[in-house]
Amino acid sequence: MLWRILTLFLLVLATWPAQARTASARIERVTVSGVELHDVRVRLRWPAGAPQGELEIDAGRIEADALGYRFARVHWSCPLSSPSDGAWRCEGPLRRQGGLPLRLAVELSPATTDAVVSRGGTRMALQRSAAVPDMTRLQLAKVPLAWAQALLASGWSAGRIEGGTVDGEIGLHTPAGRPLRIEGRLEVDGVALESEDGSIAAGDLGGTVHFDYRQPAAAGALVSVDGELRRGEALFGNTYVALGGQQVRFGVDARQLPGGGWSAPRLAWRDADTLSLDGSAELAADGRLRQLDLIARSPALADLPERYLSGWLGLAGMSGLQLDGALAANVRVVDGSLQSLDADFDGVDVRDPRQRFRIDRLDGNLRHAAGAAIYSELRWQGGALYDLAFGPIRLPLRGEAGTLRLREPADMAMLGGRLRFDHFALQPPDDTDGLRIGFGLELDALDVGQLAQALDWPAFHGTLSGRIPDARYADERLDFDGGLSMQLFDGRIDVGALSMERPFGVAPTLSADLSLHDLDLLGITGAFDFGSITGRLHGRVDGLRLVDWTATAFDAELHTEPRRGVRQRISQRAVQDISSVGDASFVTSLQGRLIGLFDDFGYRRIGIGCRLANEVCVMSGLHSAGAGFTIVDGAGVPKLQVVGFNRNVDWPTLVERLAAVATGDIAPVVD
Amino acid sequence: MRRLLAMPILLTLVLCACVTINVYFPAAEAREAAREFVENVIGDEAQPTPPPPDGGMAMRPARFDPWMLLGIGSAQAQSPDITIRTPAIQAIQSRMESRFSSTLRPHFDSGALGFSGDGTIVVRDASKLEIKDRVAVNAAVADDNRDRNAVYREIAVANGHPEWEKQIRDVFAKQWIASARPGWWYQQGGAWKQK
Repeated sequence: MLWRILTLFLLVLATWPAQARTASARIERVTVSGVELHDVRVRLRWPAGAPQGELEIDAGRIEADALGYRFARVHWSCPLSSPSDGAWRCEGPLRRQGGLPLRLAVELSPATTDAVVSRGGTRMALQRSAAVPDMTRLQLAKVPLAWAQALLASGWSAGRIEGGTVDGEIGLHTPAGRPLRIEGRLEVDGVALESEDGSIAAGDLGGTVHFDYRQPAAAGALVSVDGELRRGEALFGNTYVALGGQQVRFGVDARQLPGGGWSAPRLAWRDADTLSLDGSAELAADGRLRQLDLIARSPALADLPERYLSGWLGLAGMSGLQLDGALAANVRVVDGSLQSLDADFDGVDVRDPRQRFRIDRLDGNLRHAAGAAIYSELRWQGGALYDLAFGPIRLPLRGEAGTLRLREPADMAMLGGRLRFDHFALQPPDDTDGLRIGFGLELDALDVGQLAQALDWPAFHGTLSGRIPDARYADERLDFDGGLSMQLFDGRIDVGALSMERPFGVAPTLSADLSLHDLDLLGITGAFDFGSITGRLHGRVDGLRLVDWTATAFDAELHTEPRRGVRQRISQRAVQDISSVGDASFVTSLQGRLIGLFDDFGYRRIGIGCRLANEVCVMSGLHSAGAGFTIVDGAGVPKLQVVGFNRNVDWPTLVERLAAVATGDIAPVVD
Repeated sequence: MRRLLAMPILLTLVLCACVTINVYFPAAEAREAAREFVENVIGDEAQPTPPPPDGGMAMRPARFDPWMLLGIGSAQAQSPDITIRTPAIQAIQSRMESRFSSTLRPHFDSGALGFSGDGTIVVRDASKLEIKDRVAVNAAVADDNRDRNAVYREIAVANGHPEWEKQIRDVFAKQWIASARPGWWYQQGGAWKQK
């Protein structure tokens, strides 16, 4: 059309007198390939005899609504050469309101239209042929992706293009009465995208993209994209994908739904052995995930945490989690909640870098469903919880109504004994509640020696047994009903009112009440290397609270009780150790410095109490003794009496002294 | 007759007054404790941090006296103490301090992060962060909020009043905002404000 206008202009000018060889025209509206130009003014000045004229075109508005583009006040001026071979050529600056100036070169012939827009190294060439009027070809070289902002906004209004360049070819099909279609093959480099709220973002993406976009007149757009990504990173909510230098192939078919959402019946992602995904999804207009069906396979899990899971792991406080083995899973999510999960594990190793837990060789399958019952079974070869190693287990599971349960009791070897889960139920987190777990536990003859070794305690010997009929985990709190009983030092320690807060989180705490029954003191003092005391120890530790496995509060009272046939003797070393720890003095007929003359002493009773709070241990003994309190009440000759005077003892100092006594690094002070 | 009737009522009132024990939340002390904690975490190179307390805790009197809480005492009775010096809380504090100076501070300066109204922190404007940083900052924010929640809980428990957790959280929430440096963002009544 332009060719025709220009030719007409020239014919008119040739017939005019020499002094007024200027022609101008005003056209209300021009429509070319779905692009509308409004208020177009064309002006051509051609001095008589000159080899070239000057063309100026102004357009009040240019609108390409299907693509989302609108420009205002576009001005183009260029020197126009005579059409020697029937083609008009004109090249000059193109200005528009609110945009940087570009260069536009146009060549018009009866058969073809060629236009090249360029700036610096950027070049966008348009080709049209009169023979195929519905087809426009665009060739792109280093074109800023930002030029596609308006196109992106028509499909994703919250999306912003932050950077990137495009090379390649695009075909624009504008057949009358049929949908607009744009297809092409593009090389993209340094692509950066961002959603308004920052929840979706991509950076430095590089790769090849084939795309096909159709915009029917009265329906939503259809998009099909296939491509390869060679580098870059992307963020979708909490999912961070770090491609690094690994090549990934992907494909998406999507359809815009009435009301603005998108339906994607085909999603595909191929990242070598690390992750392949196939599935479909539906997004609401506000970007919410309405439905997702995915088949995920990872034959080699090792790179999965770093390449795909780091965002989620970071949120869960498990950054750096190591995985190995293979996993395949089918997942169905509807309106943000998990409808079904079907996962197959093959030799999966899980390792927490902070050594809180470890699972070796997880095999089997895990099926979970919001609806009808389905069965599955998981097994592992072993593992560890903190430093407590455990053995293999077989977990027959039933998923029903959103809860995953153990079908039959499961036994597991641990610390030389046996641990049995007699029931177990897990409810994954949903809109209203977090993760909830309930289980029953039976401990049978766990070796306290191994437990002590694992927890770096003194070398205790004994067994731990008990039954916790019901334990519940919710809101980062683990409560146990029932109690445990430790057979220790020929006696028994009962553990009750057990609970934990943040068992895997910040500063895990453990609360319990202990009661001590008839423990052999000789064994205890031997284990702590605390001289030697013979006798039987009784007592209680109420309100014990360990934070980060360190005692922060308790109310303890320990005392000896005579038992027929048991001698009650305390060695000289034990006396000195008690003195050095407890800051005690001797109130006795015996001179302190004479203590060294005797190996041991008889005693009637020993009793000590400590109420720990705020790092201060408020000490007490058998009974008050003047300003102090009696810890050891002697018997026989020489009669020994140990009295403590310092009632408020700094707990860290006390622990330090106890540790020093155990290693023999402390010399007692005897007054 | 009326006087006789009034007697038991009066007696009941007196008895009730005797047995009602109101344990008041020591708001002023909690504020002071929160201020110290928050300033230690936010700390500024320019601002000298308060000297560490002397180690001899055994020298202090028992710090929490329930009788002081009887609401019927003198002025002193309304000022029981709040302890925030348990090793666990101090360990969390020093971890938060190093996380704040190494990771979080620049993002408070840039406006990417802000203080929410419930004593936690949130990513206010992710677009101010590089994509890669976003993951690290999200993780740091999650870690920090876990620490914060543990601190509020532990302070309540360490002082023998787990039910104070909510009040302690509120006191801290106000303090984070009060201690925020000029230019930092905070949430108030759901809206973001810049200090």
